[in-house]
Amino acid sequence: MDSDESPERARGWRWWLWPALLLSFLIFAVPQTFFIAMGLHRNLGFGRISETYTLANYRRIVSDPLYLSSFALTLELSLVATAIGLLLGFPTAYVLARVRGRLASFLVSVLLISSFITVVIKVLGLIVILSQNGLVNGLLLRLRLLAAPLPLLSNRIGVLIGLVHYTLPFLVLILFSVIQTIPKSLEEAAESQGASRLSVLRRVVVPLSMPGVVAGGLIAFNMAMGAFTSAVLLGGGRVLTLPVLIQRKIVFDVDYPLGSALSTALLIVVFLINVLVTVLATRLSHPARALA
Amino acid sequence: MRAILGTLVVFVYVFLLAPFLVVAIASLEGSQALFYNFPPRQLSLAWYGEIPVKYFRAFGVSLAVGAVTAVVAGAIGTAAALGLVRGRLRYAPLLQAAFRMPLQIPFVVTGVVFLQAYYRLVDVVGVNLAGRLPGMILAHVFVTIPYTVGTVSSVLVRLNPRFEEAAAALGASPWSTFRRVTFPLVRPGIFAGILYAFIISFGDVPIAIFLAGSNTVTLPVEIFQSLQFDFNPALLALSTLTVLFSLALVVVMQRVVGLDIVLRTGGNG
Repeated sequence: MDSDESPERARGWRWWLWPALLLSFLIFAVPQTFFIAMGLHRNLGFGRISETYTLANYRRIVSDPLYLSSFALTLELSLVATAIGLLLGFPTAYVLARVRGRLASFLVSVLLISSFITVVIKVLGLIVILSQNGLVNGLLLRLRLLAAPLPLLSNRIGVLIGLVHYTLPFLVLILFSVIQTIPKSLEEAAESQGASRLSVLRRVVVPLSMPGVVAGGLIAFNMAMGAFTSAVLLGGGRVLTLPVLIQRKIVFDVDYPLGSALSTALLIVVFLINVLVTVLATRLSHPARALA
Repeated sequence: MRAILGTLVVFVYVFLLAPFLVVAIASLEGSQALFYNFPPRQLSLAWYGEIPVKYFRAFGVSLAVGAVTAVVAGAIGTAAALGLVRGRLRYAPLLQAAFRMPLQIPFVVTGVVFLQAYYRLVDVVGVNLAGRLPGMILAHVFVTIPYTVGTVSSVLVRLNPRFEEAAAALGASPWSTFRRVTFPLVRPGIFAGILYAFIISFGDVPIAIFLAGSNTVTLPVEIFQSLQFDFNPALLALSTLTVLFSLALVVVMQRVVGLDIVLRTGGNG
């Protein structure tokens, strides 16, 4: 689909980029720079900041156990949520890609609807399901599988369940769009050569969908690292992930310098992990081996 | 193997749908409970009549912010996609990555950055955007542009530019070429992008929580505050209505452009 469009005409089209560029760079990048710089000032209280630059906020982040453990907690929850999401999402996406007709499009629309509904309503539902007198505990108590209700809210488990619920539909949709492009004939060929269903999945489908696994996994991970709403509500104020801590620093403590230093640190960590995973994934992918 | 996969898919769907179903069922509580019961003690629609008026106001705010955001982001994103794809820039992939950037930044951070920028704006030019609708819309447009750029350019790259050249060769002006040829062909991408933008804006908490003023509280922020501080069973009724509203949007989308386009673009720019 190459075009013979004249260079002048192509140049004319470039003007159309400007509104978006202006909004993204002027309106955001400039404030973002100021914001990052804010992390280099000292907090003087009452929203005032020092004139001079200092690394004190960053030194505090790497030396204060509160912030270090918040980093560790956020990373841990996001990694576990992504892993659970991939374990549940991959087989689901595979089935969706191989089911044909109306059932498939119905199942896919359900995913879309689930990803479209605001996270606060998902959280409300999860609260009704997971609370002390909720659905899960009620069921387990009635079946006499439990003596006392399990604490599933206001702790890490609650936040983890919320993160998986939040990211899963997106993950399945991305995996689905990649697995869909793998021709079924490849699987049939492998099966006709005597490969079992499981080894077809493991040696044909999984390797060929690696780009989707990496892209989807990163998106789910990024969403989880930045998740605010579910972490606040399902953690009951007791699970202090970084986004929760950042909002507290800024809204309750009015400590802009530390809040922006924390945000910048979060951005850097997320960015580095994305770069690292992308580089590793490209290094490790040998398309020839996938088909061997 | 089949049985395992089947069970897993059923489990995933039950897990994904359970919160909505549970909310809808619990909203039918008939007794004057102060909290929720599951299953409800008596069935009735009583709580639907008890939804406090502040939630309806918040719904209106969300609707307005979402609609304006969607249209503005749709227009800017369409223009940017045309520039990216038709402009044949050498560094187009780089720009494309730059346009996806807003999605890499946690929304909490975006919210704080905009709030701070608005405070500074008051100091410098005396215009206040914090706590006002235009300020919130601007921030939402920023985070939704990646979606509209993504959906429109995914349609554009598949579009043969010869249609446009033919129209131009037959004497159509650039504007009428755009209006009669390009626009109708990319319309599904634009609609999908607008739907995404609306959905993101309509559901956002972490940005709106920083930028909402006392008269501009959005529905998700209002629900968020209630879940933290003043739970009320009417929330269940309100949430059920909101779920039905989102459902209707998807159905309309399916009728207008089909879901293929929404799926193809994956929603990630």
